This record gives sequence, structure tokens and C-alpha cells, in this order.
Amino acid sequence: MAESSKARAAVKFCFWTLAAAVLIFIVARAYTNGQMAAWFYYEAKVDGYAVNARSIMHATKEAPAVLKVGPFAYVDGERAVPVRKGDRLPANATGVIGADVVKRGRRARLQADTLVVTIPWQIAEKSGFKFKDTFQHKGIETYAWGAVWNVLMTLGLGLTLGYMAEGFTDLLGIKLEKIRHFEGH
Amino acid sequence: MFDFTIAGVVAPIFLLVFVGFTVGTVGGFIGVGGGYMVTPALIVFGFPGYMASGIDMTHIAGKGVVATVRHRQLGNIDWTMALSMVAGTMLGVELGVRLLVHFKNLGISSVVLLITSVIVMFGLFLYTQIETRRAHVKTEQMTRDGEAVGREIQTSSLPRFFQNIPFFPIVRCRTARVVVSMWVIVLVGIVTGVLAGFLGVGGGFIRVPALVYLVGASTHIAVGTDLVEIVFSGGYGALRHSIEGHVDMMAVLFMICGSMLGAQFGSIATSYVRGPAIRYILSYSLILATFGAALRLTYVLTGQSVEILALLAVMLTLGEMIFLCLFIVSLVWFAVRRKRGKVVPPWVPALVVS
Repeated sequence: MAESSKARAAVKFCFWTLAAAVLIFIVARAYTNGQMAAWFYYEAKVDGYAVNARSIMHATKEAPAVLKVGPFAYVDGERAVPVRKGDRLPANATGVIGADVVKRGRRARLQADTLVVTIPWQIAEKSGFKFKDTFQHKGIETYAWGAVWNVLMTLGLGLTLGYMAEGFTDLLGIKLEKIRHFEGH
Repeated sequence: MFDFTIAGVVAPIFLLVFVGFTVGTVGGFIGVGGGYMVTPALIVFGFPGYMASGIDMTHIAGKGVVATVRHRQLGNIDWTMALSMVAGTMLGVELGVRLLVHFKNLGISSVVLLITSVIVMFGLFLYTQIETRRAHVKTEQMTRDGEAVGREIQTSSLPRFFQNIPFFPIVRCRTARVVVSMWVIVLVGIVTGVLAGFLGVGGGFIRVPALVYLVGASTHIAVGTDLVEIVFSGGYGALRHSIEGHVDMMAVLFMICGSMLGAQFGSIATSYVRGPAIRYILSYSLILATFGAALRLTYVLTGQSVEILALLAVMLTLGEMIFLCLFIVSLVWFAVRRKRGKVVPPWVPALVVS
């Protein structure tokens, strides 16, 4: 009897561990091969210029980032691509500097066929906590089904890891019984 | 260190797993998501504020599932109560988010949000602390008199009032042994949902006391049932944040791995204690979070000029997680010692089961 429950616990633990490992592998692979980034930086939410915000975040008024504007398929610290709302973003783009920001000219301005970025970040605040807010994630729209995928993966991970832990305690022989809520102790 | 390419941050994996573990322990024990603790921690690690909220909410949904699986095994979930509340919770969260957007448009969201946090959390702390103290004294008296003490001791008369509301349909929650109008449960879902949506948290710290003091569930069942709600409200919040582009799945993955371990410990720890012990921890978490919110409020009201206030708020919030974890560990430690017939401090027997 004890042998069979031990075997059942081992099967349960192995099954859920395998399921959890598969999900972790899928998430890690989608992250490292750029699939998740492609869903995240999917299309432009506003008219403006798609840039790689990370590569220009150290720009200053004294040493601005000067980006060549053109219809490139790939952006880096030296390129910006003009986009309209709803356009797919070029590869490696992590933010869109809105046309209104460029028009105001305080943080970025157009100069012939170049985009000059002088103030790439500002201090923002969330629930009383300050943080450095850059052009990253600005003016971008994520792929809706990618968001659904995120939630399904999260719930799936929770479920598989939860049952894996349950299988582990069963395997160790730690007997967790239902709590008797209404009895004296 | 790991390069979170979507969040645009380089942060140590260990810290994310550690935060997941501590908040998983506390969440599994008192049935909260822990959003008010995790978001500041992620901001300190360098994540932008909106990303911190999104990652936190998504990890809460995953952690909710992990803890729900364990609480189901321990018999701490009343499914009738949980499912009756889901619609109300979702409606409430949506109303709360819209209310927040309204205040955001008026440009006073930070101040209103922090003032509401302070008032709600301090009010809940006071009521929970006073009631739990009374329950603690009553338990000690019963133990001295040699009476059998149940796992749950409550002294509040509010549940009787709400259970006597006669509106149809009346539902029988078998696990919680509560018979109550479904509208009371739905209303609890809506009100706690509005606060949760408005404050941008899972809402467990409001819902657990509401289930105990309004619906009349035992604390253990309130914790388990609330975690089911957190799966739904957290899942919905995660979807909204994901669509808005506030989620980096790798950060979520590391945090879920940590919270998986913590949630196991926190959930299993509930089987060692009586209801008042859980309510004590809940009330301490509320007062510490109130201090944190009060410091941030003072910081915002002083024109963000006194930087030390912001620093203190962050330190308090991070210290809170570790303090609560240690408190839970010590309770389990004393419970085990008592079971083995060893000496424990005099306040312990009334809080743990033998």
C-alpha cells in the first residue's frame, strides 16, 4: 500500500516537473530568440521615430545622440526610422519618439535628415517612488495575442510548479491532511 | 546579473528570486498578493515604475495559482464563496481602475492614492489588531480553564449582522460553514475590488479581513478563498498590463520560481497556527505598509524635497518582507517545539495548534 502511494507520488512529481521544465524552456527560448521582444515591440502607437532607446540613453545636451533618419529595416544607436501609427516597428526598435516631442524640440529635434536627441530620460514617479523614465517602451503597441500568451504561460507555470511541489512533499512522505477547521486542538 | 532586454534593465537574478520567495511566504500565509511590497522593490532594482507594477501583477497571478494548489490540499478553499465573489471582484477592479484614471486626469492621483492607502490600511490595522487581541485573550482564558480551543476564535459580532441579511439567493458555503445572502459576498467582492483596482494591488489585505469580519469565514478559509480571487483578479490585471506593454516575462519567471518555494512554506505554515496568528501577521503587515505609504505621502506633499523620506519608505517596505517572513518562521518553529513538549514563550500556546 505504502509502496503504491510512493510510486504514485513519484509519477506525479516526475510528470509535473517535466511539464514545468517544458514551460520554462518554452518561455526562455521565446525570450532569448527574440520572439517575445517582437511581440512586445510590435507596432507604433503614435506617429514619430522608432529608435533603440537603450543605445541613446546616455546622450546629453553637450554630447547629443545624432541618429540618421531613413527607412531602415534595423535600428541602432545611429539610426531612426520614421513610423506612422499602426506601422510594424523595425528590428531592434525599443521605443518611438513621438512627432509631438520632436515638434516641441526640447528633448529631441529634427536637423536636416538627422534626429538629434538631447534629453533621453526624465524622472517619473509611481506611487511616490521615483524612477528614470526613458524613451524605452514609449509609443509602442504590443501584440494582443502575445499578451494572452504571457498570461497563459504564467498561469501554466503556477499550476505546474504548484503540483510539482505537491508531488515533491508526497514523495518525501510528508502527509499534509486537510485542516480540521472546526475541531478543538 | 541578467539582461532583461524587454524591461531594458540589468538586474541580479538572485534578488528577484529572493523577493519572490519572501513575498510568496507572506502571501501564502496571510493570503495577500504582496503588490504593495514588490513594486517598490522592483523599482529599487532599476525597473521603471510601470514595468514594476506589470511584472508584480503578473507574478501575483502565477503565485496565486501555486498557493491555491497547496491551500486546496489543506482544505482552506470554499469554492462556493470564491466563485460567488469572482464577478463582483472583476466589476470592482474595473470600477477602481476607472476611478484611478479619473484622478489621474485631475492630476492628483498620487496624493489621493496614498491618502486612501493610509486611511484604509490604518483602519484595517486598528480593527484587526483590537479584535485579534481580544481573541488572543479569550483563547488564553479557555486554555487556562482547560477547555478545548478551536482553530478559529473570533470575537467580532459583524458576521452575525451580515449573515442575517435575508436577500435571495441565500448560499450555503459548506467548507466555511456559513449561510449568507449571495449579495453580501458579491458586495464584498465589488467593494474590495474597487479598492484593489484603485490602489493597483491584488486586494488580499482588504479581502481577507472582509471575508472574516463581514462574511464570517474562518481566517484559514478566508486566506485560501482569497488566493482563488487573486488568481482571477491577478490574471485580469496581468492581461491588462501585458497589453499595455508593462511585462517582462523573464523577470516574472524568476519571481515565480522564488514564490513557488515561499508559497509552499507560507501555505503549509497555516496548518501550524490558529486563526488569530494569521490575523496578527496581517495586521502587522498593514501597519508597516501604512508607515511606508505615510512616508511616501509626506514626501509627495513636501514637494519631493526631503529625499530621506523616500529612502526610508523604500527601506521600510523592503524590511517589512523580511520581518514578516521571520515572524512566520518563528511561529512555525515555536509550534514544532510545543508539539515536542519543549518550552515556548507564554504568548505562543494561544496562537499555535498542538
